[in-house]
This record gives sequence, structure tokens and C-alpha cells, in this order.
Amino acid sequence: MRVRKIISQSTVDGPGNRTAVFLQGCNIRCAYCHNPETQAMDDPEAREMSVQEVTAEVARSIPFIRGITVSGGECMLQAGEMTELFRAVRQLSIESGHPLTRLIDSNGTIQFAEHAVLMSLCDGVMLDVKAWDNAVYHRLTGAKDNSAVIQNMEWLLRHDKLTELRIVCLPGMVDVETILEHIAKTFDSIGKIAPVRLLRFRPHGVAGELKNHPMPTDEQMARYTALAQRLRLDVSVR
Amino acid sequence: MSDIYSIVTSRQLSYEQKVVALAHAAEDTLSVLNVPETTRRYFEQGVICNLNEGNAPYRPRYIMPDYEKAVRQGVKFLQLEPPRDLDELLTFLQVLYRHVPSITTYPVFLGDIDRLIEPFIEGLSDDEVKRKLRNFFIYLDRTITDSFCHANLGPQATRAGRLILDVDRELEQAVPNLTLKYDPAVTPDEFAEKAIYTSLCVANPAICNDVLNSRTNDRYGISSCYNILPIAGGSYTLTRLVLPKLAAMTDDLHDFIERLLPDAMQCMADYMSERIRFIVEKSGFFESHFLATEGLVERDRFVAMFGLVGLAEAANHFAPEGKKYGSDPEADAIAEQIMQVIYDFSGRYECPYCEIAGHRLLLHAQVGIDSDHGITSGIRIPVGDEPESIYDHLRHSARFHRFIPTGCSDILPFDITGKQNPAAVLDIVKGAFKLGQKYVAFYASDSDLVRITGYLVKRSEIEKWNSGQAVLQNTTQLGAPTYASAHLANRKLRGV
Repeated sequence: MRVRKIISQSTVDGPGNRTAVFLQGCNIRCAYCHNPETQAMDDPEAREMSVQEVTAEVARSIPFIRGITVSGGECMLQAGEMTELFRAVRQLSIESGHPLTRLIDSNGTIQFAEHAVLMSLCDGVMLDVKAWDNAVYHRLTGAKDNSAVIQNMEWLLRHDKLTELRIVCLPGMVDVETILEHIAKTFDSIGKIAPVRLLRFRPHGVAGELKNHPMPTDEQMARYTALAQRLRLDVSVR
Repeated sequence: MSDIYSIVTSRQLSYEQKVVALAHAAEDTLSVLNVPETTRRYFEQGVICNLNEGNAPYRPRYIMPDYEKAVRQGVKFLQLEPPRDLDELLTFLQVLYRHVPSITTYPVFLGDIDRLIEPFIEGLSDDEVKRKLRNFFIYLDRTITDSFCHANLGPQATRAGRLILDVDRELEQAVPNLTLKYDPAVTPDEFAEKAIYTSLCVANPAICNDVLNSRTNDRYGISSCYNILPIAGGSYTLTRLVLPKLAAMTDDLHDFIERLLPDAMQCMADYMSERIRFIVEKSGFFESHFLATEGLVERDRFVAMFGLVGLAEAANHFAPEGKKYGSDPEADAIAEQIMQVIYDFSGRYECPYCEIAGHRLLLHAQVGIDSDHGITSGIRIPVGDEPESIYDHLRHSARFHRFIPTGCSDILPFDITGKQNPAAVLDIVKGAFKLGQKYVAFYASDSDLVRITGYLVKRSEIEKWNSGQAVLQNTTQLGAPTYASAHLANRKLRGV
């Protein structure tokens, strides 16, 4: 598999302490991407690693981690390899006697419903909802529309595989309020909920038009949080 | 005589410090311990160090009163009846603490304070309890002006424990030092996460591996820096072997292991036996002090701590050029060999009056003193030599912590993102404890309070002291030079 980086100790890639595996390659081009070096599949800085090699790296973090998170780039571009990785990590948890949850961090453009085996080995998905309105989504990511993301959100929710929804907050580029309102409607109609994490945009690592864009202010983040709370969403901020 | 005169006329020492210094000076005019020539030489060479315990010990170094028993039965000598409500309890404890001796003259152990307080807060609102606790903690910080004073929490979660953590976070004080006794099977994750969050705000509490430390004694308390000692007992003495000074006497590891180390250990153990005998047979402490006469400490629950310091430098001295303890297997193997020899000695040497320890001296990773230069605390990895991976660091600690029953610890500055995910930090603690690491303390990279080698000091107070201003706490005066000389600001930051 094409791997960009493995961070053996991460407090920011899901619940608890985790080993985060960042895969190379992405199928969209978000203006606020803070690791644009992960976008091109053939970037020479990425390395080819076997599933065994990645699993051996994960093993070195036992017993300090709660599990692994595969991210990127967009890791669903290597769904087949990820399936094998999850299979190997599940085997590792059995052999070591140390439980390891297996999470995916995804932009939601590829349908999880079409990857049944992967989903059976996966404990949950942290899904980015980058925008709700199609025009906003297109401007932000370059992708046509976000129908796949919405379908994925609903599918994951119905199948109890939605670990959290992530929204990067950047006034003017992201329609945060619209996203929150529609998430709340979706939860109501399906009758299930998932945590929502508001991520403050940070220019660190960003290339292109948003390179020096300021972070949202505390007031702006507080307004988004207040709305989420009014909508009775389980919201947290980072 | 001139030394005493300079104490009396000092402009730097506070009144209390003068009194303590004069007591020391008087004590040190006596020569009542039998100290053979070889032992004296080791003292002169700095190989054996008694940490200023004095020539004629008249009280045990560390005393761990059974506060729960005191609260149940009252204290006759202090004319204290058993308290009936929270106000009476807090006054009771304040008075009792004032009369608990130790090497520092202040109490080094304040008890399992959440368990002491919990029965007295029923029917009181959180705000009411916190108001009283705030006053209690302020009293402690302003009158026990030494942060070697330690209160314990857990392992059960209690309402009192939660409120204590809240108050500690609000007050941001160096006193008391706090530790949560943590057992993953008993302590709820949510309470442990709250403790970790608090530590990333105010460097308190530390987290103690309750399962492993209970093996030292099933009724233990954490006192002073991180000393694991029996409650209703304590330690007669702590003497330390300064391993790098001994190692410097030879280039031959074999010579060190076979000749020097056994000789120095024998001398130190005999010296400690002398001190123990004097305290028990001559000082009259156990016959006359109210803590003993009223059963709040029992003589046969005292141990003696065989301390060691600078394992890293000693191992590095014998390791091949450039190989270092903490990151090189050869240096670590040498260190383990040295530890095994010391551990085996402590298992063989029979010392007097240490019944609860099976008549054996118990090893302790001594935390260092302010005059140590180029001597790393206990068995820690020197600042600057820490492994890249926090996991490797904690694995290394677990490997060496198994030798030490009366206290060893790691202090890790952690990135502020840990505050947003204390569950992640707890996962790391769980993993470390599972491997055998015994005690860990975190503080955030941006916090004013910092854990020096085991006790807390405010960086802002260090700056005041360094700029020539007076400071309230003795431990600021100790911490300031140590912070600089041990390069503690350069400890490897974790969680980034």
C-alpha cells in the first residue's frame, strides 16, 4: 500500500490514543487541505509498504494504543489494501491479547456500502462533511457535488458505523450552519445520532489561496457551537 | 561556633529556617553513631550521602500517620475529639498536621484525603464543600511551606475526590503534592481522565500504579516526592548511594560489580542499621511521641530506604563510547546488571527493626538534591537522552521499576492537545502500568506549575528567586538550581 506516514502516538485521530496510518493519494483537492503533499498518488516521498510491514509498526505501539485510524489523503482509494490491513490488525489483537479498534477517516466520496468486507472489519468511520450546498462543496473541494457524502453519512448511521462527523470551520468557505441543520434533520429522520466535531481551520501546512488565511475567531466558533447545541447535537470543538 | 553565629545573623534565612538550621547544627555536634573509617571515606568521596539527616536522629525521616484511625478515635495529646462534621474534620486535620514530624519538619503525608473527607460531605452542596476545601488548601499551601507534603486520592472515585480535583485546578498551588492511586479495575475511566486533565492544568495529581505498589504494602501511602511507605508507619531513614561517584573509581565493570559495589553497599547498609538502632533504642521517639503512644504509628510498620541515584551516569561510564542508558541495549544491559547486584544485596542483608519488610532494606530511586550536577535522579534517563518514542521510554522505565519497591517515577511534559483528549493520555498510562511502570506524572508544556524531580514549583516563583526576591516555599529555593542544572526545561515534550 502507498503510505505517507505512520504516527505511532496520536491524540487527535479518534477516541483515545491511536496509531494513525496516513495513506498517499486523494481524489479531491480541498482548498484548506493541511497536508497537500498527500494528494498525488505517485508522490516520491510516499513509500510502498506491505500490510505486514504496516502491521509490524502498529504492533510496536501495543499496549499503549486503543486502536488504529487509517487516514490520508483519502484512504478509501486503497480500500482493498485497507481491508487486508484491518484483517491483519484484527489478527494482531487476537494474538497479542490487546484489543485494537480499527477506524477510518474519510472524505466520504467513495461508497462504503460497496465494501462489505471492509465494513465488517471496521469499527467505525470518522466522516468529513466538508460542505452541504453543492456550489460551496464544489468551490471548496473541486468535486462535482456531495451526494456521495450524504449517502455515506446515512448509510453509516443506519449501520452503526458512524464514529463521528467532522466539520472544518472556515467562515466564507464552509456553510457550517447549513451543514449542522441538515445533520440534525438527518439524525431525526433516521432516529440515530453521532458525535459532531467542529474543527477550527488552521493555516499550518496549507498551500494555495488559503495559505495565510486567518483561523476562525473564538466568537465564530462559539456561535457554531451554540447552534449545534440548540440543534441538540453532541458537539465538541478542536 | 562561627557556623552557628552565621546562622543566627543570616539575612537570607527566614526565622523558621534559622530554627531548623540551629537544630541541625546542635545535632551535628554529636558523634553517637558508630561509623567505621571505610564508611567515613565513602562519605567524604560523596559515594554515600545521608541527605542531611543529622548525626543523632531523633525522629524517623518519614512518618505516615494513620489519619483514618485518628479521625475515628480522636487524639488525646492534642485534646482533639473525633470530628463530627466537615468543619471539625478540617480543623482536626490542620491541627494534627502541624504536629507530624519529618526530615523537613513539615508533614510529608496528609493521608488519603478524599476518603477522609467523603463521609463528612453528605448533605452539603458542591459549592459549600468547595468553599471549605478552598480554605483548607490555602491553609496548607501557606503554612506547610514545602511541597514535599503529599496527599493521596483513589483508587475509588468519590464525590470528595472530584471536588478536590476541581479546587486544586482553581487554586493552582504547589502544596499539597497530590497523587491518584490508579487501578484500572477499580478507578472509573472518567475519574482518571479528570485527574489527567487536572494534571495538564496544574501539574497535579501524579498517577500511581496501585496494583504494583500495593505489593510493597497493602496499606501504603505516597509521601514526600513519590515515596511508597506503609500507612501507620513510615521510614526510619533514607541514605543514598551516589553511583556515578563510585563508578568513577574504576574503569573495570567487573571490579565495580565484584569489589567496589558490594563494599560500598555493605558500608551503607551497616550505617543505616546504626541509624535505625539509634532511633529505636536511644531517641525515645517510639516511647514518648504521641503518634506512637496513641497507636497512630506502630514501630514495626517502619522500613528503611536504601536509596540510589545516578544509575544512568554509572552505566554510561562502563558502556562503550557513545552508548547511552535509555537508548542503547549495551548500556541498558550494564545498568540492569548493576541493579540486579544491588537488588540481590538488599534481599540478603538483614537489618534491625524492619519487620514489615521482612528485616530487609528496601530500594528507593532517590530523586536527587539541589547540589547534584551531572547526576540524574534515581534510575531515570537523563534529559536529552530520552528515546524518540514515549512508548520506548515507558517500556524502559518498566524494565527498571521492578527493582524499586519504595518509589520511582517518570515525569513527562505533555503537549496541551492532551487536555482535549485525556482519554488518550490515560490509554498511555494503562499501557505503561500493564508493562510494569509504577508511577507517572504529567504537566503541560505551558503550565506555570512544573514538577521538578517529584515536588512542584511554580516557574514564576523560580524567576522571582533567581532575581533575588524572597519566596514563600523552601522548595522553590531547592527547585530553582535543580531546574537549571538538570536542564528540566529541556525534558522531551510528549504528545506532539
